[in-house]
Amino acid sequence: MSPPVGSGGLGADRKRVVLVVDDDEAIRRVVRTVLEADNFEVVEAADGPAALLLLDAIMGRGPDAVVLDIMMPGIDGIEVCRRIDHDKMKVIMLSARDDGDTREAAAKAGADVYLTKPFSAIELLDALEKLAS
Amino acid sequence: MSAAPETPEAPPDALAALGVSTPAALEQQLTRFATDVGELYRRQKERSELLEEALGQMRTTYLETVRSMAYVVEAKDAYTGQHLERCRVYGNALMQALGVAAEYPDAEYGFLLHDVGKVGVPERILNKPGPLTAAEWRVMRTHPIIGYQILQGIPFMTTAASIVRCHHEMWDGNGYPEGLKHDQIPLPARVFQVVDAFDAMTTDRPYRASLGVERAAEEIARMAGTQFDPEVCRMFASLVDDLPQRV
Repeated sequence: MSPPVGSGGLGADRKRVVLVVDDDEAIRRVVRTVLEADNFEVVEAADGPAALLLLDAIMGRGPDAVVLDIMMPGIDGIEVCRRIDHDKMKVIMLSARDDGDTREAAAKAGADVYLTKPFSAIELLDALEKLAS
Repeated sequence: MSAAPETPEAPPDALAALGVSTPAALEQQLTRFATDVGELYRRQKERSELLEEALGQMRTTYLETVRSMAYVVEAKDAYTGQHLERCRVYGNALMQALGVAAEYPDAEYGFLLHDVGKVGVPERILNKPGPLTAAEWRVMRTHPIIGYQILQGIPFMTTAASIVRCHHEMWDGNGYPEGLKHDQIPLPARVFQVVDAFDAMTTDRPYRASLGVERAAEEIARMAGTQFDPEVCRMFASLVDDLPQRV
């Protein structure tokens, strides 16, 4: 995996980076495969704390978007979403939960898009495309 | 799009609690992706059809534009009628029969525009009733080069430009402007020479009637190896009876 490109004036050509946060390894792999097929660079985190540590560690050069599971042990996706700097990156929630309360909580926490599992690769890529423009 | 059916009250599966997908969840995900594949395939097909349509429209537009250009020249010349269009149709048929139509997609533009360089020849020379003087001939003979210069800068007109430049060359090297012979003359130009001559012979002119298809075909065969490429003539002989008589 190549490191995120710095602010070297390469803006337009820079590969878009997505952080995928899910405690389910199979889902992470599937999301990675879908995103890499559309030329995204993918970084993974297996839970909330790992995601937040990663985002802290790569300050300022963070991903363009985060694909975030909700039900995770420790810090859940809603909480992670709340702590993300929404000026710097977009958040797509990707959850098996499909109830109004969760959707509302996600929206309040600043999520830009809410997708449900099983997820559509088309919807995920379309959402990232739309968020980027 | 709605999510696949789920049991809302289902307690989190033991596997899910461990961060491992259940077989059922994986199967649902697989099914979802299969739907995605079908959807993408449909979209792709639709897009291809749209592109195909746009390409078709573009081709028509090109052809109509080229036709207009060609008609401008034709209008300046006394010899009019449907000569250009017949040259295009016969030429395309012969290119097809020789199996080289796909290799030279812009050949038909050249068939239509072969005389475009005549815009650079004064009308008094073009339409002079009597024979031309030597000096007038020199001017007349510049029209392939003038035409070539008009087209040479257009990227999708390279074959057309070569036809325009070489449509008065002859197989045995006695043509103009350069006296090229045999393979030095581009194949589409050799094709054009045959169909142009054939059409001229099968059309009524003010000073003589049409020779008729049969005699014209004989004439073409007779000039194989001198004026025309013998290979092209052979192929032409095999399809001459199938050419549409009126275009």
